[in-house]
Amino acid sequence: MDKAGARREEILERLEAEGGVTPESVARIALETGVPEADVWGAGRFYSLIREPGRRVRVCTGLSCRLAGATHRIEELERSGEPREEVSCIGQCDRAPAALDPDLELIPGTGTASSVLPDDPALPVNLGGADPAGYEALAKAQAAGPESVLGIIEASGLQGRGGAGFPAHVKWRAVAGQAERSRYVVCNADEGEPGTFKDREIMERRPHLLLEGLAVAAATIAASEIIIYIRGEFRDAKRSLETALKEAAGHLEPFDIRFANGHGAYICGEETALLESLEGKRGMPRLKPPFPTENGFRGKPTLIHNVETAACVPFIIHHGGERFRDLGRTGAGTKLYCVSGHVNRPGVYELPLGVALDELVETAGGYTGSPMAFSPGGASSGFLPMSLRGLPLDFRSLDREGSMLGSAGVVVLNDTVDLVAAADWQTRFFDDESCGQCAPCRIGARFLRNACGRFRTDGDPDALLHVEDVGWEMEEGSICGLGMVAAKPLTSAMKHFPDAFRRQR
Amino acid sequence: MSDRFTITLDGRNCPATSGETVLDVAGREGVSIPTLCHDPRLDPAGACRTCLVEVAGERRMQPACAFRVRPGMEVTTGSERIARHRKVLYGLYLADHRLDGSGLPSENGSVNRLREQAARSGALVLPPVNAPRSGRPGDSNPYIRFDPDLCILCARCTRYCDEVEAVSAITLTERGAATTIGTIGDSGLLDTSCELCGGCIDTCPTGAMTEKKSYGIRHEEMEQVRSTCNFCGVGCQVDLKVHNGRVVKVASPPPGETVNDGNLCVKGRFAYDFIHHEERLRYPMIRGRDGELHRASWDEAIRKTTEGLLAVKEKHGADALGFVSSSRCTGEENYLMQKLSRAAFGTNNCHQCAAT
Repeated sequence: MDKAGARREEILERLEAEGGVTPESVARIALETGVPEADVWGAGRFYSLIREPGRRVRVCTGLSCRLAGATHRIEELERSGEPREEVSCIGQCDRAPAALDPDLELIPGTGTASSVLPDDPALPVNLGGADPAGYEALAKAQAAGPESVLGIIEASGLQGRGGAGFPAHVKWRAVAGQAERSRYVVCNADEGEPGTFKDREIMERRPHLLLEGLAVAAATIAASEIIIYIRGEFRDAKRSLETALKEAAGHLEPFDIRFANGHGAYICGEETALLESLEGKRGMPRLKPPFPTENGFRGKPTLIHNVETAACVPFIIHHGGERFRDLGRTGAGTKLYCVSGHVNRPGVYELPLGVALDELVETAGGYTGSPMAFSPGGASSGFLPMSLRGLPLDFRSLDREGSMLGSAGVVVLNDTVDLVAAADWQTRFFDDESCGQCAPCRIGARFLRNACGRFRTDGDPDALLHVEDVGWEMEEGSICGLGMVAAKPLTSAMKHFPDAFRRQR
Repeated sequence: MSDRFTITLDGRNCPATSGETVLDVAGREGVSIPTLCHDPRLDPAGACRTCLVEVAGERRMQPACAFRVRPGMEVTTGSERIARHRKVLYGLYLADHRLDGSGLPSENGSVNRLREQAARSGALVLPPVNAPRSGRPGDSNPYIRFDPDLCILCARCTRYCDEVEAVSAITLTERGAATTIGTIGDSGLLDTSCELCGGCIDTCPTGAMTEKKSYGIRHEEMEQVRSTCNFCGVGCQVDLKVHNGRVVKVASPPPGETVNDGNLCVKGRFAYDFIHHEERLRYPMIRGRDGELHRASWDEAIRKTTEGLLAVKEKHGADALGFVSSSRCTGEENYLMQKLSRAAFGTNNCHQCAAT
């Protein structure tokens, strides 16, 4: 239990400043903050960027980086004797195979900078456009008043872009309608879904757009504090936002905007785990209900939005909800699709929501080789066969196929890929990133990892017995969304590519 | 505040009050829902997932221990879906647990509640997952042992240490399959804020937190004797566990039953060696003219004491006497002591060691 006045929210930042968890750093921080030593220790050991001291290169082992030769890179580093750590996806799939130097600065792979579409003011996010610090949408929203803004957001049909696709206006109204006056806006910039790097591009290219969207939300729901929880590995994105915040100063005066660093935990992209992390705890998701709109940061009503969702808001305010809605094909608005893997120009492309795979990949320069499978929404969406290439890439259609649009991190795999290996990599990712709180996910993910690994080694399908049962239980019994999808890579690969999982020898 | 209404539990109307959980109502109605991470003294964690039930209108099964009742709510505690869930869930627990020859969770002496629950669920048989969960084998504290192979990560011990004792000596540490119960720097409990109250042992549902001194003595072979702790005047109730005529363990009665609500301190729980100590005084003794102690009857001893005290009073006055009582005495005994001092001997020189 904390001492009265303990400053728990500071402990993770302090651990980072101290260079990581050691008994000495933990004892010092506990003494200075009034948080029990064991709690500082347990929280710090949760996060891969601070759990151990020591400088090392971090090599991404995400799917796209694996496809681009991450394994080779790891072997090279091993030979050179340089301290290294294999880490989960670092959100640089378009620059694969990527790594981070000991200061967490990017060491890009062979690919060049990410591709985006050229400047087009008709696009709501328009990554290729200028990013002026005008803040006219904010002024317009403030003049129109909250009720009017809520109506516009509702008319836009804007759905959360973080993965769940929850209608934005429902969340806004839920927070706005709380009796509690102390409220927060939290921006989820902890982008970590393997195959996803759109939020990074928004923060680097359109930081003002993001800040403005968040400010409109805060003004509408009567929150004065905005916290941007930004992935610890995204050094460039954070610098970009910090610069923008200085440039915007006057416009954003009524708001208290601050940054909080992620410390290396995919699960903190889950909104309640993010809140726990903000409060200086282990990133273990909370039970829902209650939802953050009622009981969020510090127990207060909190509006949590993904970066892209907030970045859509200024356009909607400028041009009206209908204009945004009509930009979509099978859902409302445009969507930033991240494309990586076996395509010619990996990058982020803003296209109508509901575009099909072929059209998307054409924009990304076409397929490399002969496509065999794709993941429409990162690791969480599993693998789909090319026979489903005609599906609209939207929330509903993919859901019906037992997959998901998620964060729209589309990864294409051509026929040179060993699909069992790909399923194995993704399964390991979820096992590495499970928080460990609930048994279905903690034990289930390890079971799947072992099963897939054994099949890969022995080629004996008996290793895969009960994968379906365990996958079912993880989806039904886990506390949060990570556990619910962690079996998808393996179960979807087994379902759609049964030949790959027959007896191999 | 306390709205009363009814909910439907397996098709039956049951009274409920706002603020209650499904588990609260089920417990009152005699509907059995398995739990592992639940302890009524702690905030519900909903982490072990054994208590998931179906609630009409909720897409996902919900933890009965944490889900609050609403008017008209319809709850189902048994269905095909719940049965399948339990079958696989317990299968996973078993794959992550030390098993005995029968394929059920081992017992190291303490009760392992997972054993009976898993047997009842027809748990799926899965290969062991070999989670890299470490313990602290070098921990030299004399009382508390942590056995990671029996741990289910329900976090009752860490939550108890935090929420009830406000000590926070232990914590969940690491992540994913490696998650375990740890301390700062994996140090032994003696080097932490631990007060060795042993509450972690009582709350642990599987015996992963267990007592070193009685390790391995089977709970079925122990007799239980309810008694009152005599280390202080609070009157904590204790359950003495007796094996072959000797007290080998002290446990707290379950929460909610006695004044100590399931809690004990280090003395009450672990300092029971005196009971069978060879130097323990079992009868009065009087020092004779030969300078040695000799066994005496209570009458003799009291008479001898009275004579001595009265002799001092006669020679030096009543205020030459002083009466010091012990914090191990009850309130009633302390009252009698001061009465003896004031009424019988006529002095106010009366003190009790916990009075300062």
